[in-house]
Amino acid sequence: MRHNTFRGGVHPAAMKELSCNKPITYHRAKGEMVFPLSQHIGKPAVPVVKKNDPVLAGQIIARADGFVSANIISSCSGKVAAIEPRLTSSGLMAPCIVIDNDGEYTMKEGIGVETDCAKLTSAQILEKIQAAGVVGLGGAGFPTHVKLMPKNPDDIDYIIANGAECEPYITCDDRLMQEQPGWVVGGLRVVLQLFPHARAVIAIENNKPQAIESMRKAIANEQRMEVMVLKTKFPQGGERNLVHAVTGRKMASTDLPANLGCIVDNVTTLAAIYHAVCLNEPLMEKGFTVTGDAVAEPGNFLVKIGTSFAEILEAAGGIKGDLKKLIIGGPMMGVAATDLNVPICKAYNALICLSEDPVELAEEQMTACIRCGRCTRVCPVGLTPQAMAVAAEKKDFARYEKIHGLDCLACGSCTYICPAKRPLTQLFKQTKQMILSRRKR
Amino acid sequence: MKKLNVSSSPHVRSRLTTGSVMYDVVLALMPATFFGVYHFGFHALLIILMSVFSAVATEFVFDYIAHRPNTVKDGSAVVTGLLLALCLSPTVPLYIPFLGSLFAILVVKSLFGGLGQNFMNPALAGRCFLLISFGAVMTDFGVDGLSSATPLAVLSTGGSVNVIDMFLGFTTGAIGISCAALLLGGIYLLATGGITWQIPVSYLGSFAVAVSLLGPVGFNVRYLAAQFCGGGLMLGALFMATDPVTSPITAGGHIAYGIFIGLLTAIFRVYGTATDSVSYAIILGNILVPLIDRISIPKPFGLGDNAKKPKPTIPKAAAILTCITLLAGLALGAVNFMTKDAIEAQNLAANMASYSTVVPGAESFGYDDAITANVKEYSEETYGRGMYGKVYINEVVVGQDASGNTVGYAINVTSADGFDGNVSLSVGFDLQGTIQGISFTELTETPGLGMRADEDEFKGQFTGRNVSKFTLNKAGGSTAQDEIDSISGASTTSGAVVNAVNAAIDFYANYVQ
Repeated sequence: MRHNTFRGGVHPAAMKELSCNKPITYHRAKGEMVFPLSQHIGKPAVPVVKKNDPVLAGQIIARADGFVSANIISSCSGKVAAIEPRLTSSGLMAPCIVIDNDGEYTMKEGIGVETDCAKLTSAQILEKIQAAGVVGLGGAGFPTHVKLMPKNPDDIDYIIANGAECEPYITCDDRLMQEQPGWVVGGLRVVLQLFPHARAVIAIENNKPQAIESMRKAIANEQRMEVMVLKTKFPQGGERNLVHAVTGRKMASTDLPANLGCIVDNVTTLAAIYHAVCLNEPLMEKGFTVTGDAVAEPGNFLVKIGTSFAEILEAAGGIKGDLKKLIIGGPMMGVAATDLNVPICKAYNALICLSEDPVELAEEQMTACIRCGRCTRVCPVGLTPQAMAVAAEKKDFARYEKIHGLDCLACGSCTYICPAKRPLTQLFKQTKQMILSRRKR
Repeated sequence: MKKLNVSSSPHVRSRLTTGSVMYDVVLALMPATFFGVYHFGFHALLIILMSVFSAVATEFVFDYIAHRPNTVKDGSAVVTGLLLALCLSPTVPLYIPFLGSLFAILVVKSLFGGLGQNFMNPALAGRCFLLISFGAVMTDFGVDGLSSATPLAVLSTGGSVNVIDMFLGFTTGAIGISCAALLLGGIYLLATGGITWQIPVSYLGSFAVAVSLLGPVGFNVRYLAAQFCGGGLMLGALFMATDPVTSPITAGGHIAYGIFIGLLTAIFRVYGTATDSVSYAIILGNILVPLIDRISIPKPFGLGDNAKKPKPTIPKAAAILTCITLLAGLALGAVNFMTKDAIEAQNLAANMASYSTVVPGAESFGYDDAITANVKEYSEETYGRGMYGKVYINEVVVGQDASGNTVGYAINVTSADGFDGNVSLSVGFDLQGTIQGISFTELTETPGLGMRADEDEFKGQFTGRNVSKFTLNKAGGSTAQDEIDSISGASTTSGAVVNAVNAAIDFYANYVQ
């Protein structure tokens, strides 16, 4: 049974009008480019270049270390300036390859040569995706080739293209579907070739009518694809909620989508798959939104991975007026940034600059919990945040686990809705870390 | 670069604040408040203002003295004050709302840690405190000095009531009397997410079922409608039981809690008195909330749905809660029945001693079936349609001498109009209807004042008189046969005694002679 939505969730102000009508501009970075070795879930990649080595755009500069890992590709040409720890968006130093960009963007040979994917075997397709360093570009950064190799490929009956883009402000997926629907469809064709029993569903929230229209047109002649319109609600694009909305199947926290016969990929990831397999183009650039009321000219960009946030902000006209807060990613699940001289990684999709900090106001308005139960009503995975908070504050970890506190997605819905402005999500993230680190000991 | 704010996600927040949630409740209560003031007049407005003022001032002063952050602006004290005022009689003196709100905020809320920490609804706890401390004032819903019964009191004595008037609020009762206005507010809160449907629906639903099963008339739409509209049930179901702080967190918990208080309310209404059934039921429900919360944690999304062998089972929490609710209901019912009999037995023993005093020539006492049948008919309702205030005929016994000849009758009556609760007494008559004496079986009045009713100087006045009705002479120095001198300083008690004796005379004349 299809639902088109899920139980719970919240409706934060979309704020997409700031940038949803700005076409994607191609941005070629000029300065030095920084490539952290860990831009994905799994083991960090191992450098295969040395200082002062010349590199070409599209060249592998760090190789995946093992199966669950991903290659890092240089997105520019030039020479390796350093391999050293650099500040990353997490606020911590992490090993990075720094490339002195010559601005020429000289491509490695063979990039851009079209390949007919129908003539490739499954193994060849997966090899190309793996070599291209494709990871989940919606935010998770899980290596895509791993996701495309489930134990039960014949049981997969749904390929879900995640075009929900439920985070407020962000519009790059919306623009991608409007401007380059062929990339998404091309990526889906490749994935469908891997799973002969599956059909593809392109799931889009109903606040993106142009994207829906554009995708419908693009799949007009496709037998195994359809567009599904979802209710606009956060976190509609969360994997478990999306699978439920599209198929009616309920994924437990311990399930992978593949257990339920589903493969879920972000539309941007599908575009990357298309480029990797059909155009022999590894993952070098991705859609990116720079927006917020403190940005002079909010817009959507096709940005080279490794570009610094400061540079892309400059491309969007820089800061206008007061700047109070910088968010990397969406406002619900993104990270607050302290320094913009950090590189854009594969899984990042937005920079939001705000002149007001809603959290600052919330801290002033904080009161004791009034037990209103709104957190329970909005939790997209059926948890009881109020009870979790009580257990977490008492450091009663046994109780916290018993009431399934570790299932929390940290989606932020409970914190968003809380009238008492309790910092619930923060508490849950900390508690989860504490419990997991105790287990390791 | 300028300093930036760093925080954990999410970085956006809804507009809701504790204050906005509280003031939404105040807004939802406005129709009922306005109707109360319109219907009952200026004094009702004073009560409301005093109650709100007292609640807010208490919180402010406590926070100040205890060096706690000032929490007055979150509006929860305003809600407490307003709710308390709406369930008070429009005639209470102003110290009642003042003390009630003071107790509600100070004892029930602030001392337990303030907002969110109280385990009982402060307004209801304040009301229960007032009911226990100032019973007579709190249960007097009379307007303009006229004593008049509330619709539910009339209903419980078999009288008929106008349900439409009750629904709209054109009747006697508490200030927040208009069901229509309360419903309007309730619908507003439901629509804006201030409350959810689970508690009101499960509360009213289980109440309706239980009243139909236990009540005197079975399933009867008119009777149910009157029960719904009276006794503060709407105020309780929509605004008191749904108080977020003292109700469960989850939807399942809400339903269990609603069913529990619905059953309790029905039991209290059917076997008890209407004035306080809703208050006590919800307070008892409040006490169960931590337990309900502990066991009503729902299953997270998808857990166990994809297991190999799905076994259809009743959710454990639901089963446990149903059992607890049923057991608690049964236990309460059982206790009620058992104590009722025990208390009655004790009363009878006490009464026997008094019968011997007031029918001097009798060696033994017995019942006359015809008379007892009449007593039964009147024992559950006020006798004399309010002519003697709240008077109940308890028992009539026939006194016989050693050879079995009837020598007189003793009638045990209770007046609920005492200064501090019930006044019960036995009146002895000889066969001509001359009073042989009166003897108290229940007297808990003020020592030195009302308690002096038991002294011969007062109660001896009735002996040897044979009149159709006594009148109370507050000035003293009576000479007429039918005049009784009041105990000085205790005219309420004296009045209750005279009313009780008059009811006994009335009953004797009509049903015994």
